[in-house]
Amino acid sequence: MAAADSRLKGEAVSRGVGASVPRKEDARLLEGRGRFIGDMRFPGQLEAAFYRAPIAHGRIRAIHIPPHLAGRAFTHADMVGVKDILAKTGLPGFRVSAQPSLAADKVRFAGEPIVMVLAATRAEAEDLVEAITVEFEELPANHDMLGAVAPGAALIHEDWPENVFLVSQAEKNFEASRAVLDAAPVKVTRTVRTSRQCMAPLEGKGCIALHERHVEQLTLWTSTQMPHIVRSGLAECLGLEERQVRVVAPDVGGGFGWKGLLQPEEVCCAWAALRLDRPIKWLEDRREHLIAAANCREHHYEMTAWADAEGRILGLDALAHVDAGAYSVYPFSACLEGAQVVSNLPGPYDIPAYRCRALSVCSNKPPIVPYRGVARTGVCTAIEFMVEAVAREAGLDPVEVRLRNLVGPERMPFRSITGKDFDMGDYPESLRRAREMIGDAAVRARQAGGEADGRRIGIGYAVYCEQGAHGTSVYHGWGIPMVPGFEQCGARLTPDGTLEIRVGNQSHGQSMETTLAQIACEILGIDPAKVNVVHGDTALTPYSTGTWGSRSAVMAGGAVASACEQMAERVKAIGAHLLQAPREAVRLEAARVVGPQGSVSLREIAHTFYRAPQNLPADANPDGLDLVAGYRPAVDTGTFSYASHAAVVAVAPGTGEVEILDYVIVEDGGVLLNPMVVDGQIYGGTAQGIGTALYEEMVYDANGQPLASTLADYLLPGAGEMPPVRIAHMETPSPNTRFGQKGIGEGGAIAPPAAIGNAINDALAGLGAELTTCPMTPRRVREALVRAGAAAEAAR
Amino acid sequence: MKAAAFDYHRPATLAAALPLLAGGARPVSGAQSLGPMLNLRLARPAALVEVGRLPELRRVEERPEGVLYGAGITHAEFEDRAVPDPTGGILPAIAHGIAYRAVRNRGTLGGSLAHADPAADWPVTLTALGAIVHLTAPTRHREMPLRDFLRGAFDTALGEGEILAGVFVPRLSPQARWGYRKSCRKVGEFAEAMAAVLLDPPRGVARLVIGATEARHIVLEGLQTLDSVEAALAGAGLTEDPARARLFRTVVREALAAATGEGAHA
Amino acid sequence: MNRVTIEVNGRVLAAEVAPRQHLGDFLREELLLTATHLGCEHGVCGACTVLIDGAPARSCIAFPAMLDGAKITTLEGLSDDPVTAELRAAFTAEHGLQCGFCTPGMLIMARDIVLRRPGADEEAIRHELAGNLCRCTGYVGIVRAVRAVAAARAGLPAEVTRGLPVPAPAYVSPLALPEAGALAPAGRAAPAAAPPSAPPPSVDEKSLETLKNPVRLEQRFTVPAGVGAVWDFFQRPEAVVACLPGARLVAPSDGTRFEAEMTVKLGPMQAAFRGAGTIAADAASYTGTLRGQGVDSRSASRVQAELVYRLEPAGVATAVHVDIAYALQGPLAQMSRGAIARDLAGRLTVAFAQNLAAALAGAGAPAAPAPLDGGGLLLAMVKDWLGRLFRRRG
Repeated sequence: MAAADSRLKGEAVSRGVGASVPRKEDARLLEGRGRFIGDMRFPGQLEAAFYRAPIAHGRIRAIHIPPHLAGRAFTHADMVGVKDILAKTGLPGFRVSAQPSLAADKVRFAGEPIVMVLAATRAEAEDLVEAITVEFEELPANHDMLGAVAPGAALIHEDWPENVFLVSQAEKNFEASRAVLDAAPVKVTRTVRTSRQCMAPLEGKGCIALHERHVEQLTLWTSTQMPHIVRSGLAECLGLEERQVRVVAPDVGGGFGWKGLLQPEEVCCAWAALRLDRPIKWLEDRREHLIAAANCREHHYEMTAWADAEGRILGLDALAHVDAGAYSVYPFSACLEGAQVVSNLPGPYDIPAYRCRALSVCSNKPPIVPYRGVARTGVCTAIEFMVEAVAREAGLDPVEVRLRNLVGPERMPFRSITGKDFDMGDYPESLRRAREMIGDAAVRARQAGGEADGRRIGIGYAVYCEQGAHGTSVYHGWGIPMVPGFEQCGARLTPDGTLEIRVGNQSHGQSMETTLAQIACEILGIDPAKVNVVHGDTALTPYSTGTWGSRSAVMAGGAVASACEQMAERVKAIGAHLLQAPREAVRLEAARVVGPQGSVSLREIAHTFYRAPQNLPADANPDGLDLVAGYRPAVDTGTFSYASHAAVVAVAPGTGEVEILDYVIVEDGGVLLNPMVVDGQIYGGTAQGIGTALYEEMVYDANGQPLASTLADYLLPGAGEMPPVRIAHMETPSPNTRFGQKGIGEGGAIAPPAAIGNAINDALAGLGAELTTCPMTPRRVREALVRAGAAAEAAR
Repeated sequence: MKAAAFDYHRPATLAAALPLLAGGARPVSGAQSLGPMLNLRLARPAALVEVGRLPELRRVEERPEGVLYGAGITHAEFEDRAVPDPTGGILPAIAHGIAYRAVRNRGTLGGSLAHADPAADWPVTLTALGAIVHLTAPTRHREMPLRDFLRGAFDTALGEGEILAGVFVPRLSPQARWGYRKSCRKVGEFAEAMAAVLLDPPRGVARLVIGATEARHIVLEGLQTLDSVEAALAGAGLTEDPARARLFRTVVREALAAATGEGAHA
Repeated sequence: MNRVTIEVNGRVLAAEVAPRQHLGDFLREELLLTATHLGCEHGVCGACTVLIDGAPARSCIAFPAMLDGAKITTLEGLSDDPVTAELRAAFTAEHGLQCGFCTPGMLIMARDIVLRRPGADEEAIRHELAGNLCRCTGYVGIVRAVRAVAAARAGLPAEVTRGLPVPAPAYVSPLALPEAGALAPAGRAAPAAAPPSAPPPSVDEKSLETLKNPVRLEQRFTVPAGVGAVWDFFQRPEAVVACLPGARLVAPSDGTRFEAEMTVKLGPMQAAFRGAGTIAADAASYTGTLRGQGVDSRSASRVQAELVYRLEPAGVATAVHVDIAYALQGPLAQMSRGAIARDLAGRLTVAFAQNLAAALAGAGAPAAPAPLDGGGLLLAMVKDWLGRLFRRRG
């Protein structure tokens, strides 16, 4: 590995790949100098507020806008020529939904924007919104995905025969194994459900659209994870050429997926900026985010698993429903989640017979957007609850059952039953280490002794693998508006020998300004402090699909390495000339080109090229020290990081309160570019997973009304809810990436509901109670205990 | 969201404030409850009158039989023991558990009681402690037990133009025992059930208060049997849903256990 | 506009402020001090935490109009503060921030914690940080950083920051603040106040929507009057509507349609539903139906309701059966589990039945029943929700 070698070299020891370099981003953010979208203002700007649908499903009969709002309030009818947002897929049978930026004839979820109102301040815009009234013909709301596909459900898109975007399915060796399954000694059936969530980055979404007449360009400043994709989508909707659109993301206050889409409000602001020739600003407030953007995680599974007496799983059959909401979002579509359910449900386990059918259901809720972990959080919960159920049914230790079913290291690389190419790793070893770290034997002993305070403790495990940075070969089959392929990086040595790196993705907490500079350091030996990473601006950076899918460390990291390697060659060529040495006799070391006699710094080399070209030969390469280079992994089916999580919980049977006493993660992220940053990603993901497990849920009433409009209703984990989390790393390099690194950004959020749920169920097993719905709130714990009590009573 | 427009007055004295209140303006002190309601446009008062910093509401008077607090004393002042405490540490401990420090720095005792949230800490605690509220209007001053002042969820005995000026907390005997238990989903978040128990034999007090009932607090005086507690829970409709009943029974049991020195959950 | 004198980061300034503008917006929009971030604007997330007279407070629910004479310190104002400098270094060393959005509020709170509780252990720190949400870090680096700085201060006397003066920094921000000068927001003409425009109330049987998933309530009572007299009463819409607390007809009814409004009050909150409905009656079976729907235009909330009555002779008296069904939608509904709504909404029906019974008994309907205060359906829903939002306040 290049990484391993380079650790022996000069500066790279402390600041290259593998070093926990302190973040370059920190200083500005710690001094309050960050610039987020809400911090920006332009002369003459107007702020937007939206009249949003108060009902979940209905026809718009009339919109009454009083005369004093003329020129300040706009409806779909005003946005002549603006195209609906279309996110098609190439999957057979996919039904296309057209999402108007302002609702046209119908509203399909509570919170859908209907009228945009502009005023000098947000407060005034909200005053004006109150003067608008809209008449509706209300239609029955599909508030629940199972009801939405029941016969007679009101059609959300009336030209469809049913409220289903797509049915995804897989069948491998299932029918052929019927006889084996029928004879299996262990058979378990479970229904598992995850609730609808809000991603809730601390900063809401927001944008400012500017009509820059001097260059005949629309500039959209927006808090996005994918500026280039937003540009393409915006240009399509507005009928502009892409050269006429520039999208810039300033500092972005967290995304997690919510900022990975083209949003109707962005289209509205852009249209209004062109129409009115004034800067138009919209900041999503928390109420808007909770009401109109609860858009992820909602799955329902009915599953049956068969196993032999030793707990080896013989087959798995599943029917899944994914509540995909009212529209297909740009660019990911309504089906990414459902398709991933089918392909990821077996997880890291070797399951010989498999059948799964997943319905991407259309409902009267906000459109689903891939949230950190995407389908895998639900999938991991589902399969791990099943594995645990198999172990309990077979009377076996759940860790042993997992070890018997995990794909072992001797079989790597391994193609799974759904065609996933696991690259490398030792999944069973991560579980064994987790069992060791959590002190399984001691916890079991303590459990047997009982707790003085009457609580019950339990231990739970979950194992997953996380496909990250998957590219063309995975995405082209889906045919969504965006297929990732090549990643580029622009690199420029400035005349004083510092480095600018330009990447087309966006860093909003992932620390790429630091880790990508470390890669430059690794190759060029340049101090990361002397490297600027420019990102998030379509005018300044090469095209990229953006930051999503745990792809940046692999893809942007690979591109930066390619660019720096090319830069190294050019620098060495000039350096060799200056040192009067043959090209092959020089090497790059600690930001200097070193020859047989003497050395020359990057600064001197850059100075020579830009400001003293007379010192170069006439045939010197005129391409200079400014270049773009690209990257694509030889195998682009993705890296597979993996981890085992183990949790110990204490459950109070009277109140249903759950306390996480210990939490352990054994993770294999391949070569870690910056271990401190990797741990930060894992901790943060785990906190979100704990939110999924225990706290976060957007409840809807039977009319599709969202019932949490503040952060006192929608509970995010706080410092008091987070347990001490212990992480251990295995570092099996990926054979397919530049430094052996793997995508790890999402993993932390995948396993906690499964590990914690299994621990709760372990704690309650003696009472006959089992929970299979997330979040596992105190009320659900008490309900499970009440049900178990009633069942025990009935059995008497 | 941003608040709808309103007017704001800051009178220098209580005497100047009362006519404004009688004219229909709403009183405000720390704004820790009203602020969010304003921003969400749920509260749309035409005018607000600052009362929390009136000198009359910032007084603290220590008496042999207890302490009279001005309504404008903040939760943080209780937490920091910046004011006398006749309860042997109960008030500072309860104050420490209210919301978050940034809220406790602004929020006031009077504001909390006048808001009359059945699941808040002060109404349950001070009802259990037998507090007396002092109410002032332009033409009268009256006192009543907090228990009677709190008429239901967000509903008090405050008359038009009347404000809660002070709260008297009786001094406990050294033998007093206290048990308090609330079940919250998160640190600092609302309680889903809560119970407070005061046993003060020298003063002849044995009191159980159950809060977070979504209605008026349940107050049981004297030594109660578990049957009577169960009857009270049933009477308040808290036993219809078995999962909810389980929670309330547990919280009451644990508060009683804490007061009598048994059990682990204090 | 109210005139206040307020000290921000050591500079005294006089400002004209609109009472509704919160401190966070004042700092960000008028003074361009954008370190203070807004994450929820309802006092929960803590991103907007600043120091008011030295003590941490939520700037989104503090209002400059109410802060005359106060001293405000934002993160910009702590640029020279030695404790904040230690915290910054610790946050970097422990990776206590990722996107950085919660960071300014987190630092201000952390400073208070280490001053007030030097040597605080991890559990105390987690409790003290509970009011500041971070979505990126899982709090691991934050807690470690605060723990490190608190540990370094172990043994030092606790400094309660309540009322503690904070020295002004040498350098405040790129924006030169006027010292004790007037700072008036750029002349913003308030939008011409226009009355909310009610939609033309055109309503007929067809335009009324079917109630979907309503809450249903029923009442049975007997009145000491003959069925004929009671029937006649039910044919007077103004009399029936007047029995509903807070409701009245806004125009005379022609007997088949009506226009009405209903005011619902809860403490400082008020909603006014205005709408129209239809009346149908079948004298042969002594049954009838009033259906209506209304909108609180300021919040865009909608209510639909249906009242079905049936009369039965019971000797000289009459048994009255009233079934009420309602559904509330829009922002005012988006705040409730509705679990206790049914319970409390029952009180509305009871009050309505009592008013009806009283009127039918000859006492006459109350001329102007008070708006639903303490017993109404909206009240019930709002109360539940408010509970969840505000019961944390003590």
